[in-house]
Amino acid sequence: MFSALQDRVGQILLPGDEFCSDTDDTISLSEPVKSEKLVCGPGLRRSGARLLVCKSGVLRHKPPNVFWIDCQQRRYVPARGETVIGIVTAKSGDVFKVDVGGSEQASLSYLAFEGATKRNRPNVQVGDLLFAQFIVANKDMEPELACIDSSGRASGMGVFGGGGLLFRVSLGLVRRLLAPNSDVRSDLEQLFPCELVVGLNGRVWVKAASIQQTLIVANLLQSSDAMTATQRRQLFAKVQQGAL
Amino acid sequence: MAAGFKTAEPLEYHRSFLKENCRPDGRELSEFRTTTLNIDSISTADGSALVKYGNTTVICGIKAELTNPTVEAPGKGYVVPNVDLPPLCSSRFRPGPPGELAQAASQFIADIIESSEVIQPEDLCIERGKLCWVLYCDLMCLDYDGNLLDACVVALLAALKNTKLPEVTVNKETSLPQVNVDQRHSLNIHRHPVATSFSIFDDSILMVDPTDEEESLATAQLTVVTDEEERLCCLHKPGGTAMSGEKLQECMSRATVRQREIQKLINKVIHSVNMEK
Amino acid sequence: MEACSISNLKLREFGCEQSLLSRPDGSASFIQGDTSVCAGVYGPAEVKVSKEIYDRATLEVLIQPKVGLAGVRERSQEQCVRETCEASLLLSLHPRSSLTLVLQVIHDDGSLLSCFLNAACMALMDAGLPMSCLFCGVTCAISADGQIVTDPTAAQEKESRALMTFAIDSTERNILMSSTKGSFSVHELQQCIVVSQKASEKMFQFYRDSVKRRYSKYL
Repeated sequence: MFSALQDRVGQILLPGDEFCSDTDDTISLSEPVKSEKLVCGPGLRRSGARLLVCKSGVLRHKPPNVFWIDCQQRRYVPARGETVIGIVTAKSGDVFKVDVGGSEQASLSYLAFEGATKRNRPNVQVGDLLFAQFIVANKDMEPELACIDSSGRASGMGVFGGGGLLFRVSLGLVRRLLAPNSDVRSDLEQLFPCELVVGLNGRVWVKAASIQQTLIVANLLQSSDAMTATQRRQLFAKVQQGAL
Repeated sequence: MAAGFKTAEPLEYHRSFLKENCRPDGRELSEFRTTTLNIDSISTADGSALVKYGNTTVICGIKAELTNPTVEAPGKGYVVPNVDLPPLCSSRFRPGPPGELAQAASQFIADIIESSEVIQPEDLCIERGKLCWVLYCDLMCLDYDGNLLDACVVALLAALKNTKLPEVTVNKETSLPQVNVDQRHSLNIHRHPVATSFSIFDDSILMVDPTDEEESLATAQLTVVTDEEERLCCLHKPGGTAMSGEKLQECMSRATVRQREIQKLINKVIHSVNMEK
Repeated sequence: MEACSISNLKLREFGCEQSLLSRPDGSASFIQGDTSVCAGVYGPAEVKVSKEIYDRATLEVLIQPKVGLAGVRERSQEQCVRETCEASLLLSLHPRSSLTLVLQVIHDDGSLLSCFLNAACMALMDAGLPMSCLFCGVTCAISADGQIVTDPTAAQEKESRALMTFAIDSTERNILMSSTKGSFSVHELQQCIVVSQKASEKMFQFYRDSVKRRYSKYL
């Protein structure tokens, strides 16, 4: 199964495609027998001995044994540990309700902020933007957010300050922006210095030196969604020479 | 104990019966519930029938009215079926406009009337382009316990066979229709379509004539309609789990057997009613 | 757009475009000859309490005709499309949420139900919803002289003696949905199933090609 999967890395797979674990693999005597361990990421499911594809997209592989389907999805589905940008929609007792773009509103305890205690409540109003992390996210439970990491530090999370602009891009672009050594990000950095917050739920918040620059960055990112790398570079070069 | 098991784990409860090739009500997989038929149940209607499939009860009344034929089909009359699922028949139906199930059933009955040619629309025409009959077939479910479609088709067929239309002549001078109520004649029934419904349980087990509970637990539904010449008028499978060609074949052979049973039943009931008179 | 014709199996020219709408989470338009349908999918989104199902997602299918309001015919088509989608989607992965599939008729020139199914499948795939298999719709008409015509036009449908639409799954090539009109023999039905299964191969290959085209810039 491992080799069959590895052969298809970078190819397009469709729901219903399947991989069977091959039993006739020859076992070499010289090498130690290693148990075939596979980690299935999004879009792959195990069903008995078979591995089923349940989303359409490109098969990706991360050594040594992680496989997933890279899917151009637009609706966000919460996953534990992911950082997102949410909008506070309600305050009810001890929890805030936060809209993160998923199928259900997430809850956020007022104690899940750095330095918050029963007496020292954080200053959060309805309509505020938050950068937070999922601590509970599974299909059977209400998703739960926190603005602190496991050691109780804010580490960048919390309520946003004034100014800036929030907009939506595709989940695919968000993942490309957050990838290490992202080329979109480095292209953008060369253009304008700006403050950029990227939530995995497809929301991006930008604040540049002026409102004009902020708007340009937002428009650039939104339009680079459906572009190839060369098209994007051309566009960025045009902006650098032209409008400003 | 058994009641508790049934409520808590309805799926497991049914599986334990199916393992023994029988069903909770004691039927075999390919066995129908007792079917009873009563015709001429509504004296004010032009034709009527009441059908019971176990608990499922459907009553059909036919009202014939005179009308003008449509411009597209001047030589044809028409049939308007309507299936009603009132809140009376089950707690899951709410008062108000018909739900999806009722609308889908109405469409299904309309399709069968058209596909099977149970009556020729030409027979309903009195004078081409001027006057024709319209038959309003109202099917009302009184008790819903699954397998609505089969019961509806039998009720409709029996009611149509029971329908007697009065003689109509068009007065040449006044060009007004004159109805002779004493002189009535039966409709000309060309075909005898009968529906047979199946439920597929756990993607593989075929059950005939499902009850409401079996329908809700099943993974797919299938309805086959055949007539006396073993021609299929409809193979309606609105979705659900996939089925192979061989499985379909099995359903169709069961359906042809059922068609004969029902036709015999209808003839017997009509005969006995005629004898009484 | 791609043209296709295998010997004795003729489908009209068909084409598809995915994610053409900006608001829905997944969208597709599917064209078969002159028949054209546009589909949009929203979800998994918040569900109304009255429609909530505790162990799976609620799927709603809405069919919008070209003119006027949806009637009884559309309601019965909605039922067919919904139950087909429910069989192929892994709805238990998104409990207590709602999925809405909207199908808009752009133009009807025969084989409309199969076009609905194809557009629905492409839109669901575009939305990235988990599915156990794909499905496609094939319409067969039996003409007065007993010939089987696949993917008939509206004129061919009118002349035909019987009309059948099947939804076929991509793994086993079995029948997910069947809807028929007119009367026919058992043998004719079996023949039509075989023809549709053959036609489905073509459709699934086309699905694969169009998804490839869509993802080409991300490779």
